[in-house]
Amino acid sequence: MSLTRRRLFQRLAAPDLSAHAAMIAARGREAGLIEYGEQGMAAGAAPVRIDSNENPLGPGQHVLDAIVGKFPEAHRYPFNATQHEGVLIKAVADKFQAKPENVLLGPGSGEILTHAVRAFTAGTRPLVTAWPSFEMPRVTAKKLGAPVKEVGFDAKLKIDVAKMAESAKGAGLVFFCNPNNPTATVHGKSAVADMVKAIRTSSPDTVILIDEAYHDYVTDPSYQSAVDIALSTPNVFVTRTFSKAYGMAGLRAGYAIGQADTIKQIQKFKMPYGLGTLTLGAALVGLGNDEHIQQERKRNTDVRAFTVKAFADMGITGTDTQTNFLFMDIKRPAAGFRDACRAAGVFVGRDFPPFEKQYARISIGTMAEMQKAVEVFKKVLGTTPTTSSKERR
Amino acid sequence: MSLSRRSFVQTLGVGATGLWITSRGREGSLFAQANQPLAGGPPSIILSSNENPLGTHKDVLAAIRGAAFPEAGRYPGAIFVEVMDLLAKKHGVKPENILLGSGSTQILRTATHVFTSKTAGLVAAIPAYEECADYARLMGHPITGVKLNPTDLKMDLDALQQASKGAGLVFFCNPNNPVATAITGSDTKTYLNMLMKQSANTTVLADEAYFEYGTMPGYETMIPIAVQNPRVVVARTFSKCFGMAGIRIGYAIGHKDTIAKMGDWDSVGDISVMALQGAKAALAVPDSWVKEEQKRNAAARSFTQKWFADRGYQPTDSQSNFMFINIKRPARDFREACLKEGVLVGRDFPPYEKTHVRISVGTMEEMQKAVQVFEHALAQPAKAAA
Repeated sequence: MSLTRRRLFQRLAAPDLSAHAAMIAARGREAGLIEYGEQGMAAGAAPVRIDSNENPLGPGQHVLDAIVGKFPEAHRYPFNATQHEGVLIKAVADKFQAKPENVLLGPGSGEILTHAVRAFTAGTRPLVTAWPSFEMPRVTAKKLGAPVKEVGFDAKLKIDVAKMAESAKGAGLVFFCNPNNPTATVHGKSAVADMVKAIRTSSPDTVILIDEAYHDYVTDPSYQSAVDIALSTPNVFVTRTFSKAYGMAGLRAGYAIGQADTIKQIQKFKMPYGLGTLTLGAALVGLGNDEHIQQERKRNTDVRAFTVKAFADMGITGTDTQTNFLFMDIKRPAAGFRDACRAAGVFVGRDFPPFEKQYARISIGTMAEMQKAVEVFKKVLGTTPTTSSKERR
Repeated sequence: MSLSRRSFVQTLGVGATGLWITSRGREGSLFAQANQPLAGGPPSIILSSNENPLGTHKDVLAAIRGAAFPEAGRYPGAIFVEVMDLLAKKHGVKPENILLGSGSTQILRTATHVFTSKTAGLVAAIPAYEECADYARLMGHPITGVKLNPTDLKMDLDALQQASKGAGLVFFCNPNNPVATAITGSDTKTYLNMLMKQSANTTVLADEAYFEYGTMPGYETMIPIAVQNPRVVVARTFSKCFGMAGIRIGYAIGHKDTIAKMGDWDSVGDISVMALQGAKAALAVPDSWVKEEQKRNAAARSFTQKWFADRGYQPTDSQSNFMFINIKRPARDFREACLKEGVLVGRDFPPYEKTHVRISVGTMEEMQKAVQVFEHALAQPAKAAA
């Protein structure tokens, strides 16, 4: 590997992501990139990539067909395309019985998160985030020099919402990832509503970002989307992405939904033409096929249950996962587990301090992939725990 | 610098946006306007956004299908490195000299963010492509506009040099959108040398979005200077020559320290796997194809420029895939007349909107049809340029 490549991966692997965040390619991919780059593809069989919370099936054929249908307009700026941003905005608004001014598009929801931090935090207006959680808001806040208040978890590794509400006083932005990555846990509708209410009362100028990237994978009946709260409450907005259940992580599309005044403030930072003409066409068709998402949820639920049971059979439990990944108490450092799995062609998630000495994040692949992965897990976890064979990269 | 020259330099307050139109998004509303029911249907010839009329290069589309589709569900990973390596090879630089962006738009915004501040502002010609000015305005950083040389509508380098002292960033769009004129390599270097001496903390962003379409003798890239000099950075895009405006990928080339500084600000998470695989395919397209594309554009351009010149409407010396023509009437009247016959031309570009129009170069066939529409539009008496 050339020095340059090494440098690129080091940037991704830097323990403090705030120092070298330029190459963080959206949610989760960072882990895979490091390993992909260092190891290359395993000889022979393709590796099982269950490190980045991606949909292993990718987008449906209807989405790929839609992209091909857009090829004749691929040379046009998105605003000149027959399906420009306004068309997707309208479709998203319709899905939620909202108005176009309630919707903001982004190339993945990551950009929206970044822009929200730029819009709402400052040296005197902290970011409040669970930690660990999706890292992009924290990385951005650190770059801006905005203070970051980290909130922990309860015994079940659910975000401590009472603490979050308390920490929100005087904050610029509260980032609430629900379900939370990497802990995979979710809060029900009433807990979310109560937290929002508490923050609105104690700190009405604080903006609350509820990230529902994994919304489509939740099966807990107490959970409901907070979109209706966002639409009816000032300073609250929800983000969604096409990267997960829609299988479009490589295509880069997501959106925010909230009251027009809130959306407007984030919109100021939006990069023009961030969503390409092909991506707009893909997202529109994806959004219109609810049946495909229902099927994907069922597929994920089944494979997730299989994997959870396989771990239980090994005497290993995890958090109550409501996502397309697991957060498992493997009773040993994630690094050693990860290295051993990688040697067997299975790529699992990176370290998530402060849980890295005990927990591993494992994304849900296809059933065939998880069957293969489980065999590897059995071998790796059947051996005596060791510390990582390598220094932390 | 003479006093008269100096008077061309205007310092615009943050709120003084009159001479700078908001970014290309404005063109979106233009198209929306075109999308209103028209007697003749939607515009059949789009000459408003400097796109490649041939469409996207076929190898790019094949790569999206063949290489991007199987990875569409994955966050882009190693392909970033492949594209950076290929770009480095193409330009004879190292990957550390390259930063990828979601179109050059992201590069322009990042440069403005990193190099301007409340005390060290942005300097650019008026008019020039507006992305940097839009971003500086968003951040509340001062903007200084420098008028063009009135005779040939080229950047006035003396005035620019004067205005650049103490600036954070100079946006040097060459060829310059929307006026289509270019500055030679030697004149650019003279300007850069003077600026380096007189303004220790100023960075220059040379936007070479239209590089492939520059045909005049002496026009050259600033990439060799940028990789050596931490205060010069070049922006390029796949949007134009390769017909990838809807796919969103561009890049910056500069000194490794400059690139690292820019890279630390924003992420590359906006770039799709389609853009990356498409760029990889575009980088494998032989130079001979690029030469042919340059020739094709130059032929359609000179046909159209001659058509206007023969009728007394003077074009600037276009070095790009668009033209800036003195039609002696408001662009708006001309545009509306053309639109009625299905041809969409460029929006207003103050301070020239009362006399000049920007027209992108379509295919020869499109331009032959378009001039017939232009003929009708120009036959209408010019209203007073009030």
